[in-house]
Amino acid sequence: MLWKKMIRDIWGNKGSYLACLVLVIIGLLIFTSFSIAGDNLSLSQEDFYREQNFAHGFAEITSMPYRELERLSEVEGIEQISGRVKKQARVTRPEGEVGVYLELVSMDLEDPERVNDVRLLEGSELRAGEFEVWIDDQFFDTYRLEQGYRLEIIAGGRARELIVEGVAMSPEFTYPLRTEGEIYPNPEQYGIAFISRDAMWSLFPELQGRVNNVVFTLVHGADFDQVKNRLEPELEPYGLINLYPREDQTSHLILSEEVAQLQRMSTVIPIMFLSVAGLILYIMLKRLVEQQRGQIGILKAFGYSNREVTLHYLAYALTVGFIGGLLGGLAGIYLANPLTWLLLEFFHVPETYEGFSLYYLLLGLIISLAIFLVAGYQGCKYALRLKPAEAMRPPAPISGKKTVLEKIGLFSAMLTIQGKMAVRNLGRNRSRSAFLFLGMTLSCAVVIVTWSLNDIIDKLVFYQYEEVEVHDARITLTEPLSPDPVTIELTGHDEVTMVEPLAEVPVKLSHAWREENVLVLGIPEGSSLYVIRDAAGRRVPTPERGVILSERLADKLHVSPGSTLELESPYLRNGEEPVLVDVCRVIPQYLGMNAYMEITGLIDLLDQGSFATSFMVNVDGTSGPDDPGGDSRTISIASLRDRYRESEQVAAVDGLEERVREARELMETFGVVIYIYVLFGMVMAFSIIYSSSFIILSERNRELASMKVLGMTSREVFSVITFEQWFISVFAILAGLPLAQMMMMAFARELSTDLYTLPAELSAQALLMGAIITIASISIAQQFALRKVRKLDLVEVLKTRE
Amino acid sequence: MELIVARNIHKRYQMGEVTVHALRGVDFTLYDRELVVVLGHSGSGKSTLVNIVGGMDLASEGELYFKDRPLHNAGEAELTGYRRDQVGFIFQFYNLMPNLTAYENVHLSVQIAKDPLDIDALLEQVGLIDRREHFPSQLSGGEQQRVAIARALAKNPQLLLCDEPTGSLDLPTGKQILKLLRDFCDQYNKAVVIITHNTNISYMADRVIYLKDGLVEEIKENPEPLPPEKVSW
Repeated sequence: MLWKKMIRDIWGNKGSYLACLVLVIIGLLIFTSFSIAGDNLSLSQEDFYREQNFAHGFAEITSMPYRELERLSEVEGIEQISGRVKKQARVTRPEGEVGVYLELVSMDLEDPERVNDVRLLEGSELRAGEFEVWIDDQFFDTYRLEQGYRLEIIAGGRARELIVEGVAMSPEFTYPLRTEGEIYPNPEQYGIAFISRDAMWSLFPELQGRVNNVVFTLVHGADFDQVKNRLEPELEPYGLINLYPREDQTSHLILSEEVAQLQRMSTVIPIMFLSVAGLILYIMLKRLVEQQRGQIGILKAFGYSNREVTLHYLAYALTVGFIGGLLGGLAGIYLANPLTWLLLEFFHVPETYEGFSLYYLLLGLIISLAIFLVAGYQGCKYALRLKPAEAMRPPAPISGKKTVLEKIGLFSAMLTIQGKMAVRNLGRNRSRSAFLFLGMTLSCAVVIVTWSLNDIIDKLVFYQYEEVEVHDARITLTEPLSPDPVTIELTGHDEVTMVEPLAEVPVKLSHAWREENVLVLGIPEGSSLYVIRDAAGRRVPTPERGVILSERLADKLHVSPGSTLELESPYLRNGEEPVLVDVCRVIPQYLGMNAYMEITGLIDLLDQGSFATSFMVNVDGTSGPDDPGGDSRTISIASLRDRYRESEQVAAVDGLEERVREARELMETFGVVIYIYVLFGMVMAFSIIYSSSFIILSERNRELASMKVLGMTSREVFSVITFEQWFISVFAILAGLPLAQMMMMAFARELSTDLYTLPAELSAQALLMGAIITIASISIAQQFALRKVRKLDLVEVLKTRE
Repeated sequence: MELIVARNIHKRYQMGEVTVHALRGVDFTLYDRELVVVLGHSGSGKSTLVNIVGGMDLASEGELYFKDRPLHNAGEAELTGYRRDQVGFIFQFYNLMPNLTAYENVHLSVQIAKDPLDIDALLEQVGLIDRREHFPSQLSGGEQQRVAIARALAKNPQLLLCDEPTGSLDLPTGKQILKLLRDFCDQYNKAVVIITHNTNISYMADRVIYLKDGLVEEIKENPEPLPPEKVSW
């Protein structure tokens, strides 16, 4: 019988229970789908690493004889070691709209225990010495290649043909990025080709019998840093550029970060939603018990035990928890695979789908039930204390009281009578007011933070290309050259309007025991093509002496302007001896993590003759109103690219506008995700206001009905409730701003990597949108509640004493 | 002058499976400046009638006019306007706002009135000027009902509808309330309708409408109404 009572009670207030249920469903949906997708991704990663013998350490060197490897394999702590030749080559067939590049990676076909082994997905084995390659699956699919396809590339300044023999993937390239400045893979521009070592040597005769890249695995329990210390002196004579652990390997770093992020989100978001739902339910139950005290009295008088009465009211909470948990869990399981599939668009790991996860379904249900058990018990424990006789008496009348706020004369004078009622009601139920305040603060902050992700992504991508790297194209050389003749050569072309050299020098910067491997960019004094800016966006001049660091780099090295760093580099004339350099400034950098110097100062420091590793150019063409896409510029860049198609010295010609355009397209995908989160924030605000309206309505239906009888319109009557909600919400929205700022800072700290640094500031637009969206959610919820005021049955309410 | 004209008023309620026929064709007329008592046992339909006359509910059938203005087919907004400008209500259980003071409760209705009366003068008249800053929980039942009367009068309505106004009060307090109602009728020349099952109260009325089983049984003129002080029960 009590079940029927419960079902009817819930049905009678279905709107509020539904609002609560929706929050539980969203929470559980995110919990299961993100957990499963995270597991899928991390399982794929683990399996893939194990099966392909993924390296623990990576070394880039200028070049080293192949036979040295055997000696290196003796180094204590190293289990297996492989040496490869890695070179980028430009592709002339298939032709892309922009420059297309292949990372050529050699494979030692005789070595049965290759480190970073390649998994052949489809196709046939490579033959030693033949110009046959396996191509990574994304590039293969993007250009719809097939087995036997003849790729045309420029390698070592010569046109060559490579025959596609298969499709493959490697743990080293789960998230392949061509240059440091990129943040997402672009298979249209960049692919990986695996080729036999002998064929590689034929392509690049200068490396015959040598390797420029070493990867190794560690014996179980070995410490990378110790192995590094042993290996470094061995590799230094061969021009060691960088020696780093798996944790710093780009693909691994981003993939692991994604897995960690999924796991974090799979807890944080559901906790947020379930807590709010639990609180709403707690308040609803508390009200229900107060309302039904007469019924409780009768039940107890009949002989129902405390336990039975409590269980009855707990059942309301557990029903919502169970239904929400089940529906949310099932929906999450259903969505987990599409989510995994979406992730695999970005990460090249073999597919693993867990399918139906009973584990997460049950875990989700248990979490949901546990939260609702606590919320429900807190809500209905009052029923326990009621004695039957006492319960059947009406509750003590509500005593009116002026609030402290009203002691402020001006404030009091400003209030209408409805306003006074509202303000006094706030004090009447402090815990509920506090909940309303916290809930609205949280919803507002969620909306602001998610909305500002738009700005962040914008800043991340566009700041670098539109404010800092303000050149049209970058010409990267295969080896450093003296800048003057190249500048003269480039300026000679009609389409080129401006040329500046750039020196990108790999260095190891150290301060006390902290060290970082980064690129120092040498930029001409007063450069108009590469503009370093401070936090306020003002141009920062390149210092003659000393180095400018990005904020993140300065943090990692624990230095500030005035500190002195040790700098080591394979480019130092006296290779072994580090030189000292002063930090003169720290600047924000969102994309990448670099150090900057004036180019001649850098060259002097290295004690080298003048050189540049790439050139920044501006080309003819306007991107004014007649030519918004900058087509003429694209044509100029294409002609420049054509000109150096077969040059041995030019590795790549990259147009920056193309990058920006592609980034913009990608951002649109992210946009959808952001709007979904914004919607979640709105649902939360809506549910809180909606259920709070209903509780207030049920509590004060008598007062409200009396006001209607006096001749007030439904809207005037409802203004007592809305005034109360707006009063709290205004403060909640104001409090939401600093909370959003705190969340943003936590976000930025958690999510920033060496590849990109998230800015922690919130734009005025995000703050405004957060406030507007929150206000809109409140208004919509109030419109729904207003309908209940319209339907208030005056006769029924006023006839009886509560 | 005719204030309210009711013709063949029917009211049917759907109570689950059963249709309750609360009013079965009620006819009567109310004039201004008169005090009318509607007398009937519980279930006679007297509350239903006052709810319809007061614009809180609509008749299922029949015609109702306020000063020749038809109310039987009025919409929600028109009824709200009618209650706002023309009608004052007094209930058995006072229905004050618990978190507004006596003064503020009256102010609540002044706020929406076109031609309100002075609040303090009214509180003076009902004898509560000293307690204007008190909240309902600090007032006795009789005091609360007096605030409710002040609240109803403050709008300066044409018609005051009182549903068992003395139902929860002891005799002396009840008499005070009745006297206030009589005074309002005489001083302000307004119509007052008192609904009650208490026959004794009918002696103070100008006219008595006897309601039984949803029908007007009898309407009786009272040539010499008793002053409220003389009423007893």
